[in-house]
Amino acid sequence: MALLVAENLSVGYQTQNGYLRAVEGVSFSLDAGKSLGFVGESGCGKTTLGMAVMRLMPSNGLIREGRILFDGEDLLKKTDEEMRQIRWQEIAMIFQAAMNALNPVHRVIDQITEAIHTHTPSHNKDEAYEQVRALFKFVGLPEDRMRDYPHQYSGGMKQRAIIAMALACKPKLIIADEPTTALDVIVQDQILEETKSLQREFGVSIIYISHDISVVADICHDIGVMYAGQLVEYGAREEVFDNPVHPYTKALLSSYPTLTGEKSKLMPIPGEAPNLINPPFGCRFSDRCTEARVSCRSNPPMWLEITPTHKVLCHQCRKHCGE
Amino acid sequence: MDHGEETILELDRIVKKYRTKAFLFGAHGQEVIALNEISIKITRGEIFGLVGESGSGKTTAGRLIVRLEQPGEGKIYLDGHDITSLKGKASKAYSRRVQMIFQDPYQSLNPQLSIFDTISEPLIIHKIGNTKAKEDVVWQAMKSVGLSPPHDFAHRYPHQLSGGQRQRVAIARAMVLNPEFVVADEPTSMLDASMSAQIFNILLEMRKKLNVSFLFITHSLAAARYLCDRIAVIYRGNVVEMGPGDEVIENPKHPYTQALIDALPKFRYSGDKKRYQTLIRAERRVPEHAGCPFFSRCKRADPIKCSREKPPLMRLGDSHSVACFFAEPGIKTSSGDNA
Repeated sequence: MALLVAENLSVGYQTQNGYLRAVEGVSFSLDAGKSLGFVGESGCGKTTLGMAVMRLMPSNGLIREGRILFDGEDLLKKTDEEMRQIRWQEIAMIFQAAMNALNPVHRVIDQITEAIHTHTPSHNKDEAYEQVRALFKFVGLPEDRMRDYPHQYSGGMKQRAIIAMALACKPKLIIADEPTTALDVIVQDQILEETKSLQREFGVSIIYISHDISVVADICHDIGVMYAGQLVEYGAREEVFDNPVHPYTKALLSSYPTLTGEKSKLMPIPGEAPNLINPPFGCRFSDRCTEARVSCRSNPPMWLEITPTHKVLCHQCRKHCGE
Repeated sequence: MDHGEETILELDRIVKKYRTKAFLFGAHGQEVIALNEISIKITRGEIFGLVGESGSGKTTAGRLIVRLEQPGEGKIYLDGHDITSLKGKASKAYSRRVQMIFQDPYQSLNPQLSIFDTISEPLIIHKIGNTKAKEDVVWQAMKSVGLSPPHDFAHRYPHQLSGGQRQRVAIARAMVLNPEFVVADEPTSMLDASMSAQIFNILLEMRKKLNVSFLFITHSLAAARYLCDRIAVIYRGNVVEMGPGDEVIENPKHPYTQALIDALPKFRYSGDKKRYQTLIRAERRVPEHAGCPFFSRCKRADPIKCSREKPPLMRLGDSHSVACFFAEPGIKTSSGDNA
């Protein structure tokens, strides 16, 4: 059974210039023990999506439409207090630039035990301590650094401490928003390996948000490609990367330098993403798309199922494949 | 290297040390070696990549070249002239020939200057051209970085532009003086992949048209492979491997370069993910030693030899050099003779 299902989710922000449609009509589902990755450029709504699932929207943010079913219950119908119980206990989040999320005036161990205490008050001090020790071991932090302050840690160590903290209450779902973006490749690689083993050992589900396709490809079973607030291609990793259908996915893949294979000229995507306060009526990628026709601009695109585990939001693909 | 091509910029055994601040009571600050006897020669029209992780000293090298800082030891030559002790007019003339593109376009542009003012400022400082000529140069520069039509952008301010557009402004600003050498310090690390690709292609275009040489500082081997003719891999202030881009990446010899390649997520091909496995999981805890800078993390290291003696940069092939005792044996290069 799916652990998390989002149906037709639309989220936006009230800004000075009008209502900004950050996420529109996004649907996805995530099975227990699986991972789902969202890729896209900055401003495509991927972080907003993660925040919406946690219901951590800023005061001008609004979940306008849709349902988020977690374990069969609609998160959008929960009261604030119920939601507070679910956060960290059931769904934990690793934030972007998490290294700045640690409180500088408390020892790392105290910050993690605080999370444990808040959600399982029955644990006494020793039990919590033991638990933190096990977590440190798991994420590969030396035990004798537990009583350090965050500033004594390197960037990679802080990120590991945050992962340990996210695991503290054994959540069913972890939302990781660009957890390795600020780190060096070797550290990133170690953290990705740990994330994978975390999934194997605890069976936790992961939503992984990143602008880096290669990272998402490394870690996720399913991929959602986002563009200008919409999901444009969604499916199993192998299908999306080996057989990309949406012109945006293709363009994104060919603008990415690789280490192997032929050194072909990178093909950047011309132009800029549309303004989401007043997005185009038709396909949002049509202005930058090399395959766009007049019909792309006049009608919103519809979902097309390529295989049961791969679908795409595009007019032209519909023509190519549908006939 | 010695291809008979003209060397434009040379770093000759550069050492740069920083002293950390002393604590409140007594205790002297510690010395941090940012660059340890770095020697690099860059030829005219070449894009030279300096690859390393954060804290490896790669940005320091760039800052030394544009004279934002002074080296502790060693010399920097432009066209054979020592530039480390330039003053006054000579220093200003130098800054016209060597320019820098900074990492973060959100911080490197003055928010109070319009795009036109930002790009024309270097021309004013160096007193180049009259008003009309200046305008032409700025227009031209904006077009060449893809900010077109220029009059659409000229009167905007940085906050009205996206990150990619800002970085293009920064490039245009660096290029208006027609420099011979440009230091590009991670110009795309804050940008999305499609924007990065645009910036890379602009830099390649500049090189083709103007025959500018670049020092391209990056943490991404893939970007370096795409853009650079030659690459130097730098680890804790030491050049550990240097050679033609393709060769260093396809046939890396130093365990650190190999670890970097292992660590990159692979998604375009399957097969053995970790080819080299040169990194030990738990770092060795070693006291300060005179040996190889990579000793504490290297699986291949000999506990005695590598901890006592620092491997010099040794030549393996025509132009490929490695600082490791256990790479295939080769002839010592003269510049790395410091063991």
